[in-house]
Amino acid sequence: MTARNILITGSSRGLGKELAEHFLRNNCVVIGCSRSEGGIEHPNYHHYQLDVASPDQVANLFFELRKEIKYLDAVINNAGVASMNAFALTPVKTFQKIFDINVQGTFLFCQKALGLLKRATHPRIVNMTTVAVPLQLEGESIYAASKSAVETLTQIIAKEYGCFGITCNAIGPSPIETSLIKGVPKDKIDKLVKRQAIKKMATPADVINLVDFYLRPESSMISGQVVYLGGIS
Amino acid sequence: MEKADIQKIIFAAIEMANNLREEDEKITVSVQTALYGQNGELDSMGLVSFLIDVEESLQDSNIQISLSDERAMSQTKSPFRNVQTLTDYIDLLIRESME
Repeated sequence: MTARNILITGSSRGLGKELAEHFLRNNCVVIGCSRSEGGIEHPNYHHYQLDVASPDQVANLFFELRKEIKYLDAVINNAGVASMNAFALTPVKTFQKIFDINVQGTFLFCQKALGLLKRATHPRIVNMTTVAVPLQLEGESIYAASKSAVETLTQIIAKEYGCFGITCNAIGPSPIETSLIKGVPKDKIDKLVKRQAIKKMATPADVINLVDFYLRPESSMISGQVVYLGGIS
Repeated sequence: MEKADIQKIIFAAIEMANNLREEDEKITVSVQTALYGQNGELDSMGLVSFLIDVEESLQDSNIQISLSDERAMSQTKSPFRNVQTLTDYIDLLIRESME
């Protein structure tokens, strides 16, 4: 079996790094990218330092990538930023940054990856959303709105590119100990966890399990789905 | 890259699309071939797949342009109406990318 080529954005830390290490352990070739340096030393890991929201930098990445690989099995759009603030107090600059990285970044990677994905046997796109969307969390209006956009992108990409055999799904993790929630007060996290059907913090392994499920060849009929962890719906 | 070279790439992409088509559904390889819109040979998804192939062939020639366009799905103004308009459009994009 030939090695699977997996592209993961935001792979230098947190969940992205855990995902990259998981796929490396499973003999995949991982193409990682982030604004910072890689942080993973492995012969099958290739890191590109870039801004996921930059059309030119993303186009360049795929231009270079096409010289190295013939197909891409999966794109995992993990890079994202969150911001806790009251809607009325959110600066436009914050709004733009969140939408640039979360929405435009996902848009660019999905769009530019189509050519390489089309050549894979079981091509997959996995996008990241948040439980802040279904729970409509106060203080996360812009972050949740950006992820609503990602969910809609996911569902329409699934419809448009199903004919290429590409599935496109999303994962909405419940709170996990990552840098993304480090600014959120503990009592708020506790309250949030109590609203879940499964009242405990998630772990990166829970996300990896779902990513693995989406990426399985047998999951070719699973597309346009958004699955939230913790029993949130 | 000359227009004739661009045309060769477009013709190759048509051949690639033809590989997946039945004998009586093959697209004519000619400058006049209508690609998309009125009498066009490609539906919207066929056009997407075709343009991805063209973009990738251009990349093989070290030309990095994006064929995404606001007017892509317009029946009358799309630069993807036929082989000639697509050739002119790619030629224009290549020139713009060199400025």
